[in-house]
Amino acid sequence: MKTAREMDLIGCKRCTRVSPPGTGVCPRCGGKINSRDPKSLQKVMAWWVLGLACYIPGNLYPMLETKTLVSSDSSTIVGGAVELAHHGAWGVAFIILLASVVIPVGKFVIILGLVIGVHRGPQVSDDLRQKLYEVVEYIGRWSMVDVFVVAVLSSLVQLQTLVNISPGRASIFFALSVVFTMLSAQSFDSRLIWDTGRTPDPADPQPEGTGPAGTEKERTA
Amino acid sequence: MTQTNSAPPPPPVKPAKKSPFRRISIIWLVPLIALVAVLGVAVKTYLDQGPLIKISFDNATGISAGSTELHYRDVTVGVVEDVGFSDGLESVIVSVRLHNDVAEYVDDTAQFWVVRPEVTAQGVSGLATVLSGVFIEGIWDSAPGGLVEKFTGLADAPLQRLNDEGVLLTLRAGSDVSLTEGAPIVYQGLNVGKIGKTSISQDGTTAEAQAIIFSPHDRLVDTATRFWDTSGFSFTLGAGGAALDFTSIASLISGGVTFGTLVSGGEPLEPGATITVYADEATARASVFSGDEGETLNLSAVFEENIAGLSVGAPVELGGLNIGRVNSLNGLVDADRFGDNRVRLVATLSIRPGKLGIEGDQTEETALEFLSGRVRDGLRARLATTSILTGGLKVELIEVPGAPPAEIEDLGDAGPRIPTTASEVSDVSATAEGVFQRINDLPVEEIMTQAINLLGNINALITSEGVRSAPENLNGLLADARGVVNSEGVRALPGQMNEAIDQLATLIEGFNEAALSERLGKALDDAADAAKGVNSAVEGVPDLIARIEGVAANIEEVAIDKMADQVTELLTTVDSFLNQQSTRALPESLSGALDELGAVLVQLREAGVVETAKDTLNSASNAADTFADASRDLPRLIEQARLVLSQAGTTIEGYQANNGLGRDARTALREVERAAQAVSSLARAIERNPNSLLTGR
Repeated sequence: MKTAREMDLIGCKRCTRVSPPGTGVCPRCGGKINSRDPKSLQKVMAWWVLGLACYIPGNLYPMLETKTLVSSDSSTIVGGAVELAHHGAWGVAFIILLASVVIPVGKFVIILGLVIGVHRGPQVSDDLRQKLYEVVEYIGRWSMVDVFVVAVLSSLVQLQTLVNISPGRASIFFALSVVFTMLSAQSFDSRLIWDTGRTPDPADPQPEGTGPAGTEKERTA
Repeated sequence: MTQTNSAPPPPPVKPAKKSPFRRISIIWLVPLIALVAVLGVAVKTYLDQGPLIKISFDNATGISAGSTELHYRDVTVGVVEDVGFSDGLESVIVSVRLHNDVAEYVDDTAQFWVVRPEVTAQGVSGLATVLSGVFIEGIWDSAPGGLVEKFTGLADAPLQRLNDEGVLLTLRAGSDVSLTEGAPIVYQGLNVGKIGKTSISQDGTTAEAQAIIFSPHDRLVDTATRFWDTSGFSFTLGAGGAALDFTSIASLISGGVTFGTLVSGGEPLEPGATITVYADEATARASVFSGDEGETLNLSAVFEENIAGLSVGAPVELGGLNIGRVNSLNGLVDADRFGDNRVRLVATLSIRPGKLGIEGDQTEETALEFLSGRVRDGLRARLATTSILTGGLKVELIEVPGAPPAEIEDLGDAGPRIPTTASEVSDVSATAEGVFQRINDLPVEEIMTQAINLLGNINALITSEGVRSAPENLNGLLADARGVVNSEGVRALPGQMNEAIDQLATLIEGFNEAALSERLGKALDDAADAAKGVNSAVEGVPDLIARIEGVAANIEEVAIDKMADQVTELLTTVDSFLNQQSTRALPESLSGALDELGAVLVQLREAGVVETAKDTLNSASNAADTFADASRDLPRLIEQARLVLSQAGTTIEGYQANNGLGRDARTALREVERAAQAVSSLARAIERNPNSLLTGR
């Protein structure tokens, strides 16, 4: 089985129509087409760096500032989860940790792994990489649940001096981090997974010159 | 499975651009912009960061780095960044990151202290810090003076938070006054100030405290203002009930000070002026006139009397005005000067020139000059009693008219000495004691007893049977007298006389007939005897009249109506007796009898019978005897009347007479007198010419 690229065709990502090389615009849907996004990895890494940069203050600054009549309390994401765990709310603490720490960190790791896999040659199977990519794409938006909770609480609990909950600085950074990681994941051209794939095809051995060590330029050439 | 038959031509591959920028995605601009933004924020933050100042405190209770704020007018102008120690761990150094906009103003006028929650008698302060934690408060003036980096924090909040808040004073506690830190200064019930930190004055004699009168009440205070203590309470129990009085709970617990401008003409106080706090309002008011401030003129005065009661601090008065006080008291023995070794009292008087009312400069010199002039005019010092009850003494400067000339002597080191004069000390206690002693010595009880006895006796006398019956007795007496006068014997007297004269006429006729001279002489002698008896009886009449006069005199002075009536009645009775027909008829009867006697004698002359004459003479003799007997009765009657009147006089004595009664009595007595005179003249006529009885002429 050959890919469109191997057959010197360019597939449109919008309508999946293949066009001959040299076609800049899809004749069916009018979308811009190219065989591979030449700067996909650059974009991925750029967004990824921004996302990571935002993720750090998003965890250091307080996420939620709760002011009651007698006390003012602000806690970071991890601090809040730990506090909840201390109070025995293991379930809630687990959900918060999952949504706010495990998933974002996992996204960073997966995206970085995908990029490395494309760049240096895959260490895992193409199928797994594709699945990881899909998970990242799918799960990215759910990271916003944290920000969503903060937004709902802030808008609902506004009792002036009695009880007042306002979003902390971390909420903005965390939201930006989620947005940037989503952009990063979307910037990833999943077709690259297969370009470097080592899926054994006994009938059609892997062509030469497309080794995993090849540069992006070479792959997109 | 290759599509060999329809192999498309190889896709045209665009040649790579030579520019290296083409190889870099535009998307990198996003993190780049982010980086620039972050850097920009960082640089701006760094550049906006204010200076760091270090404040040293004794301790850092409640201060935590990163969260404790610095407030100015309750606005956050800085945050504590670090809490550390000074060298040698002597104090805590709190590093505060100031905001840039106030940094210029934090100069050497700045003061810092830690605001902590405080609960005092005056109230709760710093309550907010209970929840939010302590904060550091700073004040500084509003003139930028350049940043100073090191400060020493205050232990407590300063009294004057801001420079324009009021006037700062130093209060000095007078005697019996205790100043309490934080106590309010109350004026007309309002809290207008506060007492700050208390301390002992430098000389160690009084307690002092910083105090502030808040604006705008600071205009109430000037140099004429006096402060006094209002702490504690007063409890009075009187006719109006019990009254507990105190200014406020705060001043009850912790004391308080109030003030009043008692006289006008004060000048504005300089900030930090020292003011004395008096124990109460009365003392404060007194101080206005005693004038604690100012220089004094010291005079000594030697008093001849060594009298206890003058004490240091006793007032010195000139014309009733307090012009100073006694500074010290000493004994003085100066044989050369005074000529004996008696101990004299030397008092040093401290006179306040300001109280003398001298025109112009009120200095020691002008005061001495003034007093010297007055002394030449007779001004002298003397001791006088301050209070008649306590016996305290004061020194009075008074002008003694006609005093021997004297001057204020200058004794050099001992200072000027003012001449003195005799003291006017009224030892009222001794005098009062004497008065009471005399009153005590009065035999009041004996007098009372005697008076009671006297009244009892009078009562008994008046109520006694004798006195009560006295009028009745008198009545009875008069009735007796009337009875005597009206008695048969007396009434019968004229009849008997008539009869006797008839018999006498018969006798004389017989005598004439018989011419028996002896018998006739005897008869005449008998008749003379009888006349004598009448005469002797009549002799008592003047005496009686004198007594009646005495009675009348008494009656003039005495009066009891009833008594007077009775006397009148008595006299009327006497009068009526004397006027009664029989008495009046007595002379006529006598005359008639004499006529009849004459007729008898004629008959005798005609008849001329000797025996008959003899019998008649005997009868005449008997008749004469009878007449003599009757005459003898007359003195008794008169004696009885006299006795009656004497008793009446005695009875009447001791009573007051009124004029009317007196007149009546006199009239009556005159009639009695006339009646008596009539009797007397009758008697005299008979005495003078007894023959008329016989002859009828």
